[in-house]
Amino acid sequence: MVIADDRIAPTPTKGGSNVSRIRFDKSIVGLVPFFLFLGYFLLYPIAAIVSASLHDNRHHLTLSLYHNLFFGNYRDAFIGSFKLAFYSMLVAGIAGAIICWAVVKTNGVVRTITSSAAGVLANTGGVPLAFMFIAAFGQEGLITKLLLKVFHWDLYAGSFDLYNFWGILLVYCFFQIPLMVIIFTPALENLKIEWVEANESLGGTKFQYFRHVLIPVLLPSFFSACLLLFASAFSAFATAAAMSNGTIPLVPLLIGNLVNGNVIPSEANQGDALAMGMVIVSLVVIAGYLLLLRLTRKR
Amino acid sequence: MRKQFVFGVVAAMAVALLPAVSAAPSFADDSTFATCTDLTSCGGLSALVKAAQAEGTLNITTVLRNWADYGDAVDTFQAAFGIHINDDNPDGGSSYEINSIKTAPADAQPDVIDFGASHVAEAAGAPCPTDFTQCSASIFANYKVATWDDIPAAWKNVNGNWFGNYQGQIVIGYDSKLKKAPKAIKDLKDPAYKKVVGIAGDPTGAQEALISVMAATVANGGTFDNVQKGVDFYHSLKQSGNLSGATADSTHIATGNPKVWLDYSFNALGTEQLGAQIGKTFKYVKPADAAVMGTPYLFAVNATAPHPAAARLWVEYLMSENKGHLAKDLAGDEAANVKAGTLDGAKLFNSLMGGQNIFQMGGAVPIEIAAMTKKKLLIPSPSTIFVPSAGDKLTPTQPSVAQQATAIALLKTEWPKI
Repeated sequence: MVIADDRIAPTPTKGGSNVSRIRFDKSIVGLVPFFLFLGYFLLYPIAAIVSASLHDNRHHLTLSLYHNLFFGNYRDAFIGSFKLAFYSMLVAGIAGAIICWAVVKTNGVVRTITSSAAGVLANTGGVPLAFMFIAAFGQEGLITKLLLKVFHWDLYAGSFDLYNFWGILLVYCFFQIPLMVIIFTPALENLKIEWVEANESLGGTKFQYFRHVLIPVLLPSFFSACLLLFASAFSAFATAAAMSNGTIPLVPLLIGNLVNGNVIPSEANQGDALAMGMVIVSLVVIAGYLLLLRLTRKR
Repeated sequence: MRKQFVFGVVAAMAVALLPAVSAAPSFADDSTFATCTDLTSCGGLSALVKAAQAEGTLNITTVLRNWADYGDAVDTFQAAFGIHINDDNPDGGSSYEINSIKTAPADAQPDVIDFGASHVAEAAGAPCPTDFTQCSASIFANYKVATWDDIPAAWKNVNGNWFGNYQGQIVIGYDSKLKKAPKAIKDLKDPAYKKVVGIAGDPTGAQEALISVMAATVANGGTFDNVQKGVDFYHSLKQSGNLSGATADSTHIATGNPKVWLDYSFNALGTEQLGAQIGKTFKYVKPADAAVMGTPYLFAVNATAPHPAAARLWVEYLMSENKGHLAKDLAGDEAANVKAGTLDGAKLFNSLMGGQNIFQMGGAVPIEIAAMTKKKLLIPSPSTIFVPSAGDKLTPTQPSVAQQATAIALLKTEWPKI
């Protein structure tokens, strides 16, 4: 490694600072397994999907699969996914922010419990989550039966159903709200008591504090947290798959049908193009998130 | 300390990768078994059993134990011949199976696949000729089983590239606690079934759901050429609030929703057994207004099968019409005796319950049913689950692969809108 060091470090020409930046850093060696892992399990599959999405099923180079994304059921699926992600972002963003507000006002123990619980719940997803809800709120669920026996309230008498758009939205909130609590609490914790005091000593009202201090300070982190919620709901697959029969058009479910289905043959490449569509949406969202994060940091 | 840790990680990764790199096929076989096209060219049944035993393993994929009673077939094959069966990804679909042959490492590929008839063109990598029986894929080996002549001509490739094995008929399943027992598909509109009518998945992703829409089409006076009437039927179920979003698979059915559903007949057994475990009784009935079967599922032997002899023995076994023993009836020393030369492999094979009868036990329609009925080899189907009905007297019909493709094209745009 010493030899490598000598070869890679260029002879200093302009100034010392340059050299130290380019100098071979031994700690990179420790990251090699990580980069191998990243390359094989993330970059290589993405490259394979890009390539497949640019070829039709007779191996001709084409952009037609991307063109298809703007029409028919593929377009509907993107709209459906956007709708689900947007609503769950809205509900979880607002509810989560309110919970955050309550959490930072509490003392140590409650706070520790809440944040640990949020950490666990935010990572509960997929089929187990769907079945938790079915076991609780399904037609023969525990809570459904309890409500009927104790309060004589038939949950299913009205239009309530777990297996429709709103049911899935409800289930999504179960992991989205805790996620919001985790990512938004630090922003609230950074608010300084001195700001409240400064506002008061300068004769500001509560509304002025809210309008001129809280909103400008918190809005960027609130929006960036919401973008993460959007991305999280946009890409979820297993929960939705366990709770719908394709009557709720969602992109991940369509990809599942095309790549692993039993009915539509020879269109796996269209699934790859749909996946690329999702990658592009995610990139846009993450770019927005990073931009907002930079704005927040500068402050 | 840190360096040691890093070294440890690298070493651990290297060790973890080793078996993957060095796991070359352990069995170097006489190459005839990779190319032989029927029992005669393979050197006879006894030789095939011996060679398969020497390979020791069989790779299959996307096989559920409850599906058409595959569990009994797997158990009996493993117990009788002492060949271990690897089942990869039980929940996968046909596209996954074909991709496994095309892209999986040589020794991890499935030896035999059981896939949907629409997927032959996908395997071939080109559209099929008008005569479907001429369609063939180079990733499959040509092999004709001993019962070849008993498979209907429409459902086998002329060269043995692929061949039908069994099919499902659309039946109505229901929870016996319901006040009204359904008898026809049109009964599903009954207000008594609010929010509890299920379909077995997304018709553009699950074959049983697609054929359910076809059955609903027939029940409403339509034909296989245009499934709009079936789509309209499900649309009306959704409008009336009867249609549940819960997939009609055994897990959801066990949770209490759906309570009435359409599904392939060969899923009945598994669902009924699951119900018995949790104290529920599920019944099945052939609808009085539509007798519709799906296109048959097909077998194909992988041309580059890692265990070519076991692959051929497996299809011979599953296409066998014999009546005989299941795993539970075996003494347990049969495989050892064949290896020791004290029991003839062909004799053992012929003493077993053949796959066609096992499919029949599972509620499926074995593809050789006509020939088996004539030869009096067919065992009775499970009568405890299926309630007798007017539907029993109807003669089932089935769509062609082309009609299925037309239906899929319509459903892709219409189903999300129902």
